[in-house]
Amino acid sequence: MKTRSNDWIVGLTIILTMVGIVAATLFLQQAQLGRRREGATARFRDIGSLQVGNAVVIRGVAAGRVKQIALAPKGWVVVDMELDEGTVLPTDPVVLLQASSLFGEWQAMITPRTAVPVNRDVVAQVEDATDAPSGSLPGAVLPDIAQLTTVAGGIAGNVASVAERVRTAFNDTAAKELRASIRNFSVLSGDLARAVRAQSQNLDSLALVARLGLADVAASSAALRRTMQRVDTATASGALTDILGESRTASRNLREATDRLQRLAQSLEASEANLRGAIGKADTLLGRIERGQGSVGLLINDPGLYRNADSLLVELRALMADVRKDPKRYFSVRVF
Amino acid sequence: MREALESFGAAGKLTAEAVRSARDVRTWGPNLSLQARQLGVDSLPIGTLIALFTGVVLALLASYSFTGAVPRYLVGTLVQKTVMMELAPVLTGLALAGRVGANIAAEIGTMRVTEQIDALETLSFDPVAYLVVPRVLAGVLMFPVVVGVAMFVGLGAGWAASLGLLDLSSAEFLKGARLFFDLFDVRYGLVKAASFGFAVSLLGCVNGLRARGGAQGVGGAATHAVVQSAIMILVLDAFWALVWLLGRTP
Repeated sequence: MKTRSNDWIVGLTIILTMVGIVAATLFLQQAQLGRRREGATARFRDIGSLQVGNAVVIRGVAAGRVKQIALAPKGWVVVDMELDEGTVLPTDPVVLLQASSLFGEWQAMITPRTAVPVNRDVVAQVEDATDAPSGSLPGAVLPDIAQLTTVAGGIAGNVASVAERVRTAFNDTAAKELRASIRNFSVLSGDLARAVRAQSQNLDSLALVARLGLADVAASSAALRRTMQRVDTATASGALTDILGESRTASRNLREATDRLQRLAQSLEASEANLRGAIGKADTLLGRIERGQGSVGLLINDPGLYRNADSLLVELRALMADVRKDPKRYFSVRVF
Repeated sequence: MREALESFGAAGKLTAEAVRSARDVRTWGPNLSLQARQLGVDSLPIGTLIALFTGVVLALLASYSFTGAVPRYLVGTLVQKTVMMELAPVLTGLALAGRVGANIAAEIGTMRVTEQIDALETLSFDPVAYLVVPRVLAGVLMFPVVVGVAMFVGLGAGWAASLGLLDLSSAEFLKGARLFFDLFDVRYGLVKAASFGFAVSLLGCVNGLRARGGAQGVGGAATHAVVQSAIMILVLDAFWALVWLLGRTP
Protein backbone atom coordinates (compact mmCIF):
# COMPACT_ATOMS: atom_id res chain seq x y z
CA MET A 1 0.00 0.00 0.00
CA LYS A 2 2.85 2.30 0.93
CA THR A 3 4.63 1.45 -2.32
CA ARG A 4 1.51 2.20 -4.39
CA SER A 5 1.14 5.53 -2.63
CA ASN A 6 4.76 6.37 -3.41
CA ASP A 7 4.31 5.32 -7.02
CA TRP A 8 1.27 7.57 -7.37
CA ILE A 9 2.91 10.59 -5.80
CA VAL A 10 6.15 10.19 -7.69
CA GLY A 11 4.36 9.62 -10.99
CA LEU A 12 2.11 12.61 -10.44
CA THR A 13 5.07 14.79 -9.54
CA ILE A 14 6.99 13.75 -12.62
CA ILE A 15 4.02 14.26 -14.93
CA LEU A 16 3.11 17.63 -13.46
CA THR A 17 6.70 18.78 -13.67
CA MET A 18 7.02 17.67 -17.28
CA VAL A 19 3.77 19.35 -18.19
CA GLY A 20 4.87 22.51 -16.41
CA ILE A 21 8.24 22.58 -18.11
CA VAL A 22 6.73 21.97 -21.54
CA ALA A 23 4.08 24.62 -20.96
CA ALA A 24 6.63 27.15 -19.75
CA THR A 25 8.85 26.41 -22.71
CA LEU A 26 6.01 26.86 -25.17
CA PHE A 27 5.01 30.06 -23.39
CA LEU A 28 8.50 31.50 -23.61
CA GLN A 29 8.82 30.42 -27.22
CA GLN A 30 5.48 32.07 -27.96
CA ALA A 31 4.31 28.88 -29.60
CA GLN A 32 0.75 29.01 -30.85
CA LEU A 33 -0.55 25.47 -30.83
CA GLY A 34 -3.48 24.64 -33.02
CA ARG A 35 -3.24 27.89 -34.91
CA ARG A 36 -2.80 27.63 -38.64
CA ARG A 37 0.22 29.32 -40.08
CA GLU A 38 1.03 30.47 -43.56
CA GLY A 39 4.44 30.18 -45.09
CA ALA A 40 6.64 32.59 -46.97
CA THR A 41 10.14 32.17 -48.32
CA ALA A 42 12.78 34.76 -49.02
CA ARG A 43 16.30 34.51 -50.31
CA PHE A 44 19.35 36.50 -49.40
CA ARG A 45 23.03 36.68 -50.11
CA ASP A 46 23.70 37.09 -46.40
CA ILE A 47 21.43 36.98 -43.37
CA GLY A 48 23.55 38.78 -40.80
CA SER A 49 22.75 37.43 -37.33
CA LEU A 50 19.23 36.21 -38.09
CA GLN A 51 18.27 33.04 -36.25
CA VAL A 52 15.46 30.57 -36.30
CA GLY A 53 12.70 31.92 -34.07
CA ASN A 54 13.36 35.60 -34.73
CA ALA A 55 10.29 37.72 -35.30
CA VAL A 56 8.81 38.54 -38.69
CA VAL A 57 7.45 42.06 -38.67
CA ILE A 58 5.07 43.85 -41.02
CA ARG A 59 4.70 47.60 -40.50
CA GLY A 60 6.14 47.20 -37.01
CA VAL A 61 3.69 44.48 -35.97
CA ALA A 62 4.94 40.98 -35.20
CA ALA A 63 3.29 38.74 -37.76
CA GLY A 64 5.25 35.52 -37.55
CA ARG A 65 8.59 33.90 -36.90
CA VAL A 66 11.57 32.63 -38.83
CA LYS A 67 11.01 28.91 -39.25
CA GLN A 68 14.06 27.67 -41.07
CA ILE A 69 17.32 28.93 -42.52
CA ALA A 70 19.18 26.95 -45.13
CA LEU A 71 21.99 27.42 -47.59
CA ALA A 72 20.95 27.21 -51.24
CA PRO A 73 22.87 26.81 -54.50
CA LYS A 74 24.54 29.72 -56.28
CA GLY A 75 25.42 31.49 -53.05
CA TRP A 76 21.91 32.04 -51.75
CA VAL A 77 20.52 31.67 -48.25
CA VAL A 78 16.85 30.70 -48.13
CA VAL A 79 14.78 31.72 -45.12
CA ASP A 80 11.41 30.10 -44.48
CA MET A 81 8.99 32.15 -42.41
CA GLU A 82 5.77 31.28 -40.64
CA LEU A 83 3.17 34.00 -40.82
CA ASP A 84 0.01 34.30 -38.79
CA GLU A 85 -3.13 33.18 -40.53
CA GLY A 86 -4.72 35.93 -42.56
CA THR A 87 -1.56 37.99 -42.79
CA VAL A 88 -1.67 40.12 -45.92
CA LEU A 89 1.69 40.90 -47.44
CA PRO A 90 2.29 44.41 -48.79
CA THR A 91 2.37 45.07 -52.51
CA ASP A 92 5.59 43.95 -54.17
CA PRO A 93 7.03 42.73 -50.86
CA VAL A 94 10.67 42.75 -49.93
CA VAL A 95 12.18 41.17 -46.80
CA LEU A 96 14.74 43.28 -44.95
CA LEU A 97 16.81 41.75 -42.17
CA GLN A 98 17.87 44.13 -39.47
CA ALA A 99 18.85 44.34 -35.83
CA SER A 100 15.81 45.02 -33.69
CA SER A 101 17.79 46.10 -30.67
CA LEU A 102 21.28 46.99 -29.59
CA PHE A 103 21.69 43.59 -27.98
CA GLY A 104 21.92 41.31 -30.96
CA GLU A 105 18.28 40.53 -31.59
CA TRP A 106 17.36 40.50 -35.28
CA GLN A 107 14.10 40.50 -37.15
CA ALA A 108 12.81 40.01 -40.67
CA MET A 109 10.77 42.99 -41.81
CA ILE A 110 8.43 42.54 -44.78
CA THR A 111 7.97 45.87 -46.49
CA PRO A 112 6.95 47.22 -49.91
CA ARG A 113 9.76 47.66 -52.39
CA THR A 114 9.05 51.37 -52.41
CA ALA A 115 9.91 51.54 -48.72
CA VAL A 116 13.38 50.07 -49.13
CA PRO A 117 15.93 52.52 -47.68
CA VAL A 118 17.81 54.57 -50.24
CA ASN A 119 21.06 52.72 -49.78
CA ARG A 120 23.09 51.61 -52.75
CA ASP A 121 24.09 48.27 -51.23
CA VAL A 122 20.60 47.45 -50.01
CA VAL A 123 19.00 48.32 -53.33
CA ALA A 124 21.61 46.24 -55.12
CA GLN A 125 20.90 43.27 -52.84
CA VAL A 126 17.17 43.54 -53.46
CA GLU A 127 17.61 43.77 -57.21
CA ASP A 128 20.00 40.83 -57.11
CA ALA A 129 17.48 38.70 -55.24
CA THR A 130 14.54 39.69 -57.43
CA ASP A 131 13.02 37.25 -59.89
CA ALA A 132 13.69 34.36 -57.58
CA PRO A 133 12.32 30.96 -58.59
CA SER A 134 9.26 29.46 -56.93
CA GLY A 135 8.03 32.80 -55.70
CA SER A 136 10.70 33.51 -53.11
CA LEU A 137 10.63 37.07 -51.89
CA PRO A 138 13.72 39.17 -52.55
CA GLY A 139 15.64 40.04 -49.44
CA ALA A 140 18.46 42.21 -48.20
CA VAL A 141 20.27 42.66 -44.95
CA LEU A 142 20.59 46.13 -43.50
CA PRO A 143 23.80 47.22 -41.83
CA ASP A 144 23.73 46.41 -38.14
CA ILE A 145 25.08 48.39 -35.28
CA ALA A 146 28.40 46.54 -35.46
CA GLN A 147 28.99 47.65 -39.03
CA LEU A 148 27.92 51.18 -38.20
CA THR A 149 30.22 51.11 -35.22
CA THR A 150 33.03 49.89 -37.44
CA VAL A 151 32.44 52.77 -39.83
CA ALA A 152 32.24 55.18 -36.92
CA GLY A 153 35.46 53.72 -35.59
CA GLY A 154 37.12 54.34 -38.93
CA ILE A 155 35.88 57.91 -38.92
CA ALA A 156 37.13 58.37 -35.37
CA GLY A 157 40.50 57.00 -36.45
CA ASN A 158 40.66 59.47 -39.31
CA VAL A 159 39.73 62.31 -36.99
CA ALA A 160 42.42 61.22 -34.59
CA SER A 161 44.92 61.11 -37.45
CA VAL A 162 43.94 64.61 -38.53
CA ALA A 163 44.19 65.82 -34.95
CA GLU A 164 47.63 64.28 -34.68
CA ARG A 165 48.71 66.00 -37.88
CA VAL A 166 47.34 69.30 -36.62
CA ARG A 167 49.20 68.82 -33.37
CA THR A 168 52.38 68.06 -35.29
CA ALA A 169 51.94 71.03 -37.60
CA PHE A 170 51.01 73.48 -34.84
CA ASN A 171 54.41 73.75 -33.14
CA ASP A 172 56.13 76.84 -31.71
CA THR A 173 57.19 78.13 -35.11
CA ALA A 174 53.68 77.78 -36.39
CA ALA A 175 52.38 79.58 -33.32
CA LYS A 176 54.82 82.47 -33.89
CA GLU A 177 53.85 82.64 -37.53
CA LEU A 178 50.25 82.59 -36.55
CA ARG A 179 50.85 85.38 -34.08
CA ALA A 180 52.61 87.42 -36.80
CA SER A 181 49.79 86.66 -39.16
CA ILE A 182 47.32 87.88 -36.60
CA ARG A 183 49.36 91.06 -36.14
CA ASN A 184 49.47 91.58 -39.90
CA PHE A 185 45.84 90.95 -40.03
CA SER A 186 45.31 93.62 -37.40
CA VAL A 187 47.25 96.13 -39.51
CA LEU A 188 45.35 95.05 -42.53
CA SER A 189 42.14 95.51 -40.63
CA GLY A 190 43.18 99.10 -39.76
CA ASP A 191 43.94 99.83 -43.38
CA LEU A 192 40.72 98.29 -44.39
CA ALA A 193 38.86 100.41 -41.87
CA ARG A 194 40.44 103.58 -43.22
CA ALA A 195 39.63 102.56 -46.74
CA VAL A 196 36.12 101.85 -45.67
CA ARG A 197 35.85 105.28 -44.08
CA ALA A 198 37.13 106.95 -47.25
CA GLN A 199 34.83 104.93 -49.37
CA SER A 200 32.06 105.80 -46.99
CA GLN A 201 32.69 109.47 -47.60
CA ASN A 202 32.73 108.84 -51.31
CA LEU A 203 29.55 106.96 -50.93
CA ASP A 204 28.08 109.91 -49.07
CA SER A 205 28.98 112.15 -51.99
CA LEU A 206 27.60 109.65 -54.41
CA ALA A 207 24.51 109.39 -52.30
CA LEU A 208 24.14 113.16 -52.45
CA VAL A 209 24.53 113.11 -56.20
CA ALA A 210 22.21 110.24 -56.40
CA ARG A 211 19.73 112.06 -54.25
CA LEU A 212 19.92 115.07 -56.56
CA GLY A 213 19.60 112.77 -59.52
CA LEU A 214 16.64 111.18 -57.92
CA ALA A 215 15.15 114.62 -57.39
CA ASP A 216 15.66 115.29 -61.07
CA VAL A 217 14.16 111.96 -61.87
CA ALA A 218 11.28 112.82 -59.61
CA ALA A 219 10.83 116.14 -61.38
CA SER A 220 11.05 114.40 -64.72
CA SER A 221 8.61 111.89 -63.47
CA ALA A 222 6.26 114.65 -62.48
CA ALA A 223 6.65 116.25 -65.85
CA LEU A 224 6.10 112.94 -67.50
CA ARG A 225 3.05 112.42 -65.33
CA ARG A 226 1.74 115.79 -66.44
CA THR A 227 2.51 114.90 -70.03
CA MET A 228 0.76 111.61 -69.59
CA GLN A 229 -2.18 113.46 -68.10
CA ARG A 230 -2.24 115.66 -71.14
CA VAL A 231 -1.93 112.64 -73.35
CA ASP A 232 -4.73 111.13 -71.38
CA THR A 233 -6.74 114.29 -71.83
CA ALA A 234 -5.89 114.34 -75.53
CA THR A 235 -6.91 110.74 -75.79
CA ALA A 236 -10.12 111.47 -74.11
CA SER A 237 -10.93 114.38 -76.53
CA GLY A 238 -10.06 112.47 -79.74
CA ALA A 239 -7.13 114.67 -80.63
CA LEU A 240 -4.81 111.78 -80.38
CA THR A 241 -6.62 110.01 -83.19
CA ASP A 242 -5.99 113.02 -85.37
CA ILE A 243 -2.40 113.10 -84.27
CA LEU A 244 -2.05 109.45 -85.07
CA GLY A 245 -3.62 109.95 -88.48
CA GLU A 246 -1.30 112.80 -89.24
CA SER A 247 1.57 110.84 -87.90
CA ARG A 248 0.60 107.97 -90.21
CA THR A 249 0.56 110.38 -93.16
CA ALA A 250 3.82 111.92 -92.11
CA SER A 251 5.27 108.49 -91.74
CA ARG A 252 4.12 107.55 -95.23
CA ASN A 253 5.63 110.73 -96.60
CA LEU A 254 8.75 110.11 -94.69
CA ARG A 255 8.91 106.59 -96.07
CA GLU A 256 8.49 107.91 -99.62
CA ALA A 257 11.11 110.55 -99.03
CA THR A 258 13.36 107.86 -97.68
CA ASP A 259 12.77 105.80 -100.81
CA ARG A 260 13.58 108.73 -102.95
CA LEU A 261 16.60 109.51 -100.90
CA GLN A 262 17.63 105.91 -101.22
CA ARG A 263 17.29 106.02 -104.97
CA LEU A 264 19.18 109.31 -105.03
CA ALA A 265 21.87 107.74 -102.96
CA GLN A 266 22.06 104.86 -105.42
CA SER A 267 22.36 107.39 -108.30
CA LEU A 268 24.98 109.23 -106.36
CA GLU A 269 26.83 105.99 -105.88
CA ALA A 270 26.71 105.34 -109.64
CA SER A 271 27.77 108.93 -110.38
CA GLU A 272 30.50 108.61 -107.83
CA ALA A 273 31.69 105.46 -109.56
CA ASN A 274 31.61 107.19 -112.91
CA LEU A 275 33.31 110.23 -111.46
CA ARG A 276 35.89 108.00 -109.81
CA GLY A 277 36.49 106.36 -113.21
CA ALA A 278 36.64 109.72 -114.98
CA ILE A 279 38.97 111.10 -112.37
CA GLY A 280 41.12 108.04 -112.78
CA LYS A 281 41.21 108.44 -116.50
CA ALA A 282 41.80 112.19 -116.16
CA ASP A 283 44.55 111.49 -113.73
CA THR A 284 46.11 109.08 -116.16
CA LEU A 285 45.64 111.59 -118.98
CA LEU A 286 47.06 114.42 -116.93
CA GLY A 287 49.98 112.26 -116.00
CA ARG A 288 50.71 111.54 -119.62
CA ILE A 289 50.26 115.21 -120.43
CA GLU A 290 52.58 116.15 -117.63
CA ARG A 291 55.14 113.71 -118.88
CA GLY A 292 54.84 115.33 -122.33
CA GLN A 293 53.32 112.35 -123.97
CA GLY A 294 50.83 112.79 -126.80
CA SER A 295 49.85 115.87 -128.73
CA VAL A 296 48.43 117.77 -125.84
CA GLY A 297 51.47 116.94 -123.77
CA LEU A 298 53.73 118.13 -126.44
CA LEU A 299 51.53 121.16 -126.88
CA ILE A 300 51.72 122.00 -123.22
CA ASN A 301 55.31 121.13 -122.60
CA ASP A 302 56.79 122.49 -125.92
CA PRO A 303 56.95 126.37 -125.88
CA GLY A 304 57.74 126.56 -129.61
CA LEU A 305 54.71 124.63 -130.49
CA TYR A 306 52.69 126.91 -128.22
CA ARG A 307 53.99 129.92 -129.99
CA ASN A 308 53.24 128.38 -133.44
CA ALA A 309 49.78 127.53 -132.29
CA ASP A 310 49.34 131.04 -131.01
CA SER A 311 50.45 132.59 -134.24
CA LEU A 312 48.20 130.12 -136.05
CA LEU A 313 45.28 131.33 -133.99
CA VAL A 314 46.15 134.92 -134.79
CA GLU A 315 46.25 134.11 -138.45
CA LEU A 316 42.99 132.16 -138.17
CA ARG A 317 41.37 135.06 -136.41
CA ALA A 318 42.54 137.41 -139.21
CA LEU A 319 41.31 134.94 -141.80
CA MET A 320 37.92 134.75 -140.19
CA ALA A 321 37.68 138.51 -140.09
CA ASP A 322 38.56 138.70 -143.79
CA VAL A 323 35.97 135.99 -144.59
CA ARG A 324 33.27 137.93 -142.76
CA LYS A 325 34.37 141.01 -144.56
CA ASP A 326 34.39 139.59 -148.06
CA PRO A 327 32.80 136.13 -148.21
CA LYS A 328 32.57 136.03 -152.00
CA ARG A 329 36.26 136.05 -152.11
CA TYR A 330 36.27 132.67 -150.60
CA PHE A 331 32.82 131.13 -151.34
CA SER A 332 30.91 130.89 -154.67
CA VAL A 333 27.27 129.71 -154.41
CA ARG A 334 25.39 128.67 -157.57
CA VAL A 335 21.87 127.27 -157.66
CA PHE A 336 21.61 126.19 -161.25
CA MET B 1 42.97 14.20 -0.45
CA ARG B 2 43.85 10.58 -0.59
CA GLU B 3 40.54 9.74 0.99
CA ALA B 4 38.72 11.80 -1.61
CA LEU B 5 40.55 10.09 -4.46
CA GLU B 6 39.76 6.73 -2.91
CA SER B 7 36.11 7.73 -2.78
CA PHE B 8 36.12 8.69 -6.46
CA GLY B 9 37.82 5.43 -7.33
CA ALA B 10 35.26 3.54 -5.30
CA ALA B 11 32.54 5.52 -7.06
CA GLY B 12 33.83 4.32 -10.42
CA LYS B 13 33.92 0.76 -9.23
CA LEU B 14 30.46 1.06 -7.76
CA THR B 15 29.15 2.53 -10.98
CA ALA B 16 30.31 -0.49 -12.88
CA GLU B 17 28.68 -2.76 -10.31
CA ALA B 18 25.47 -0.73 -10.45
CA VAL B 19 25.33 -1.02 -14.22
CA ARG B 20 25.80 -4.75 -13.88
CA SER B 21 23.16 -4.97 -11.13
CA ALA B 22 20.69 -2.82 -13.03
CA ARG B 23 19.54 -5.93 -14.85
CA ASP B 24 18.10 -7.25 -11.55
CA VAL B 25 14.94 -5.19 -11.81
CA ARG B 26 12.98 -7.32 -9.38
CA THR B 27 15.43 -6.38 -6.66
CA TRP B 28 15.61 -2.63 -7.15
CA GLY B 29 12.22 -2.01 -8.81
CA PRO B 30 10.05 -2.01 -5.67
CA ASN B 31 12.40 0.43 -3.95
CA LEU B 32 12.58 2.92 -6.82
CA SER B 33 9.35 4.78 -6.08
CA LEU B 34 10.22 5.04 -2.40
CA GLN B 35 13.62 6.46 -3.16
CA ALA B 36 12.15 8.75 -5.82
CA ARG B 37 9.73 10.13 -3.29
CA GLN B 38 12.37 10.59 -0.61
CA LEU B 39 14.98 12.07 -2.94
CA GLY B 40 12.70 14.02 -5.24
CA VAL B 41 9.21 14.71 -4.05
CA ASP B 42 10.26 15.36 -0.49
CA SER B 43 12.96 17.70 -1.77
CA LEU B 44 10.53 19.89 -3.69
CA PRO B 45 9.88 22.30 -0.79
CA ILE B 46 13.54 23.10 -0.28
CA GLY B 47 14.10 23.38 -4.02
CA THR B 48 11.09 25.64 -4.40
CA LEU B 49 12.15 27.83 -1.51
CA ILE B 50 15.63 28.27 -2.90
CA ALA B 51 14.30 29.10 -6.36
CA LEU B 52 11.78 31.53 -4.91
CA PHE B 53 14.38 33.67 -3.21
CA THR B 54 16.84 33.25 -6.03
CA GLY B 55 14.38 34.65 -8.56
CA VAL B 56 13.56 37.66 -6.38
CA VAL B 57 17.20 38.44 -5.66
CA LEU B 58 18.16 38.07 -9.31
CA ALA B 59 15.48 40.49 -10.42
CA LEU B 60 16.59 43.06 -7.87
CA LEU B 61 20.24 42.51 -8.72
CA ALA B 62 19.57 42.91 -12.42
CA SER B 63 17.59 46.08 -11.83
CA TYR B 64 20.42 47.42 -9.70
CA SER B 65 23.04 46.55 -12.30
CA PHE B 66 21.21 47.66 -15.44
CA THR B 67 21.42 51.43 -15.40
CA GLY B 68 21.84 54.06 -18.03
CA ALA B 69 21.45 52.86 -21.58
CA VAL B 70 20.68 49.25 -20.65
CA PRO B 71 16.96 48.66 -21.12
CA ARG B 72 15.07 47.44 -18.07
CA TYR B 73 13.44 44.57 -19.92
CA LEU B 74 16.80 42.81 -19.80
CA VAL B 75 15.90 42.02 -16.19
CA GLY B 76 13.73 39.29 -17.67
CA THR B 77 16.59 38.08 -19.83
CA LEU B 78 18.98 37.86 -16.91
CA VAL B 79 16.47 36.08 -14.70
CA GLN B 80 15.54 33.59 -17.41
CA LYS B 81 19.07 32.77 -18.46
CA THR B 82 20.57 32.67 -15.00
CA VAL B 83 17.81 30.71 -13.31
CA MET B 84 17.39 28.15 -16.06
CA MET B 85 20.99 27.57 -16.97
CA GLU B 86 22.86 28.01 -13.74
CA LEU B 87 21.26 28.88 -10.46
CA ALA B 88 18.34 26.48 -10.45
CA PRO B 89 20.50 23.42 -11.22
CA VAL B 90 23.50 24.39 -9.10
CA LEU B 91 21.78 25.82 -6.04
CA THR B 92 19.20 23.06 -6.01
CA GLY B 93 21.94 20.50 -6.54
CA LEU B 94 23.97 21.88 -3.67
CA ALA B 95 20.92 21.90 -1.43
CA LEU B 96 20.07 18.34 -2.38
CA ALA B 97 23.69 17.34 -1.92
CA GLY B 98 23.27 18.24 1.71
CA ARG B 99 19.86 16.74 2.10
CA VAL B 100 19.96 13.69 -0.18
CA GLY B 101 23.66 12.90 -0.10
CA ALA B 102 23.82 13.03 3.65
CA ASN B 103 20.61 11.03 3.93
CA ILE B 104 21.84 8.27 1.63
CA ALA B 105 25.27 8.11 3.23
CA ALA B 106 23.81 8.03 6.72
CA GLU B 107 21.20 5.42 5.85
CA ILE B 108 23.54 3.07 4.03
CA GLY B 109 26.35 3.78 6.49
CA THR B 110 24.11 2.82 9.35
CA MET B 111 23.19 -0.37 7.52
CA ARG B 112 26.88 -1.01 6.98
CA VAL B 113 27.97 -0.48 10.59
CA THR B 114 25.01 -2.48 11.90
CA GLU B 115 25.90 -5.28 9.48
CA GLN B 116 22.53 -5.17 7.75
CA ILE B 117 24.30 -5.17 4.41
CA ASP B 118 26.19 -8.27 5.43
CA ALA B 119 22.84 -9.82 6.29
CA LEU B 120 21.53 -8.93 2.84
CA GLU B 121 24.49 -10.65 1.25
CA THR B 122 23.88 -13.64 3.49
CA LEU B 123 20.29 -13.76 2.25
CA SER B 124 21.62 -13.70 -1.35
CA PHE B 125 20.43 -10.16 -1.93
CA ASP B 126 22.68 -8.07 -4.08
CA PRO B 127 23.27 -4.98 -1.87
CA VAL B 128 24.17 -2.89 -4.90
CA ALA B 129 20.97 -3.79 -6.71
CA TYR B 130 18.93 -3.40 -3.56
CA LEU B 131 20.48 -0.22 -2.12
CA VAL B 132 22.51 1.59 -4.78
CA VAL B 133 20.64 1.13 -8.05
CA PRO B 134 17.26 2.48 -6.88
CA ARG B 135 18.89 5.49 -5.19
CA VAL B 136 21.06 6.33 -8.17
CA LEU B 137 18.16 5.92 -10.59
CA ALA B 138 15.94 7.98 -8.32
CA GLY B 139 18.61 10.66 -8.16
CA VAL B 140 19.03 10.74 -11.95
CA LEU B 141 15.28 10.77 -12.44
CA MET B 142 14.13 13.14 -9.71
CA PHE B 143 16.88 15.78 -9.66
CA PRO B 144 15.70 17.12 -13.05
CA VAL B 145 12.16 17.14 -11.70
CA VAL B 146 13.14 19.21 -8.70
CA VAL B 147 15.31 21.47 -10.82
CA GLY B 148 12.53 21.84 -13.39
CA VAL B 149 10.18 23.00 -10.68
CA ALA B 150 12.89 25.31 -9.38
CA MET B 151 13.27 26.83 -12.86
CA PHE B 152 9.55 27.42 -13.07
CA VAL B 153 9.35 28.90 -9.58
CA GLY B 154 12.50 31.00 -9.96
CA LEU B 155 11.30 32.54 -13.21
CA GLY B 156 7.88 33.20 -11.71
CA ALA B 157 9.43 34.75 -8.60
CA GLY B 158 11.59 37.01 -10.73
CA TRP B 159 8.53 37.98 -12.76
CA ALA B 160 6.53 38.73 -9.61
CA ALA B 161 9.39 40.70 -8.10
CA SER B 162 9.74 42.73 -11.29
CA LEU B 163 6.07 43.58 -11.21
CA GLY B 164 5.82 44.24 -7.49
CA LEU B 165 9.18 45.72 -6.62
CA LEU B 166 10.64 47.13 -9.80
CA ASP B 167 7.64 48.71 -11.50
CA LEU B 168 8.29 46.60 -14.57
CA SER B 169 5.32 45.58 -16.65
CA SER B 170 4.58 41.99 -17.56
CA ALA B 171 5.15 42.85 -21.21
CA GLU B 172 8.61 44.21 -20.46
CA PHE B 173 9.64 41.26 -18.32
CA LEU B 174 8.32 38.72 -20.81
CA LYS B 175 9.96 40.56 -23.69
CA GLY B 176 13.28 40.22 -21.94
CA ALA B 177 12.64 36.62 -20.91
CA ARG B 178 11.69 35.65 -24.44
CA LEU B 179 14.36 37.73 -26.11
CA PHE B 180 17.14 35.18 -25.93
CA PHE B 181 15.21 32.14 -24.76
CA ASP B 182 16.25 28.93 -26.41
CA LEU B 183 15.09 25.39 -25.84
CA PHE B 184 18.73 24.60 -25.25
CA ASP B 185 18.54 26.57 -21.99
CA VAL B 186 16.04 24.09 -20.55
CA ARG B 187 17.86 21.07 -21.92
CA TYR B 188 21.17 22.30 -20.56
CA GLY B 189 19.74 22.84 -17.07
CA LEU B 190 17.95 19.50 -16.91
CA VAL B 191 20.89 17.47 -18.17
CA LYS B 192 23.10 19.16 -15.63
CA ALA B 193 20.54 18.34 -12.95
CA ALA B 194 20.50 14.68 -13.97
CA SER B 195 24.28 14.50 -13.77
CA PHE B 196 24.18 16.18 -10.37
CA GLY B 197 21.60 13.65 -9.20
CA PHE B 198 23.77 10.80 -10.39
CA ALA B 199 26.85 12.20 -8.65
CA VAL B 200 25.11 13.06 -5.38
CA SER B 201 23.31 9.73 -5.03
CA LEU B 202 26.33 7.69 -6.10
CA LEU B 203 28.73 9.49 -3.76
CA GLY B 204 26.19 9.10 -0.96
CA CYS B 205 26.07 5.37 -1.61
CA VAL B 206 29.86 5.10 -1.90
CA ASN B 207 30.47 6.89 1.38
CA GLY B 208 27.71 4.93 3.10
CA LEU B 209 29.08 1.60 1.96
CA ARG B 210 32.57 2.65 3.03
CA ALA B 211 31.44 3.68 6.51
CA ARG B 212 33.34 2.03 9.29
CA GLY B 213 32.99 1.99 13.06
CA GLY B 214 29.90 3.23 14.82
CA ALA B 215 27.94 6.44 14.78
CA GLN B 216 31.10 8.47 14.28
CA GLY B 217 31.83 6.57 11.10
CA VAL B 218 28.31 7.16 9.86
CA GLY B 219 28.62 10.88 10.61
CA GLY B 220 31.94 11.03 8.81
CA ALA B 221 30.46 9.23 5.82
CA ALA B 222 27.62 11.74 5.68
CA THR B 223 30.02 14.63 5.91
CA HIS B 224 32.27 13.23 3.23
CA ALA B 225 29.28 12.58 1.01
CA VAL B 226 28.10 16.17 1.28
CA VAL B 227 31.52 17.67 0.70
CA GLN B 228 32.36 15.41 -2.21
CA SER B 229 28.93 15.89 -3.73
CA ALA B 230 29.26 19.67 -3.52
CA ILE B 231 32.68 19.56 -5.14
CA MET B 232 31.43 17.17 -7.79
CA ILE B 233 28.49 19.43 -8.57
CA LEU B 234 30.82 22.36 -9.20
CA VAL B 235 33.16 20.20 -11.27
CA LEU B 236 30.30 18.87 -13.36
CA ASP B 237 28.97 22.40 -13.75
CA ALA B 238 32.28 23.48 -15.23
CA PHE B 239 32.44 20.29 -17.28
CA TRP B 240 29.06 20.87 -18.92
CA ALA B 241 29.90 24.51 -19.51
CA LEU B 242 33.07 23.51 -21.28
CA VAL B 243 31.34 20.80 -23.27
CA TRP B 244 28.24 22.71 -24.31
CA LEU B 245 28.89 26.41 -23.98
CA LEU B 246 32.47 26.80 -25.17
CA GLY B 247 32.39 27.96 -28.76
CA ARG B 248 28.63 27.77 -28.94
CA THR B 249 26.84 30.72 -30.52
CA PRO B 250 23.33 31.51 -29.36
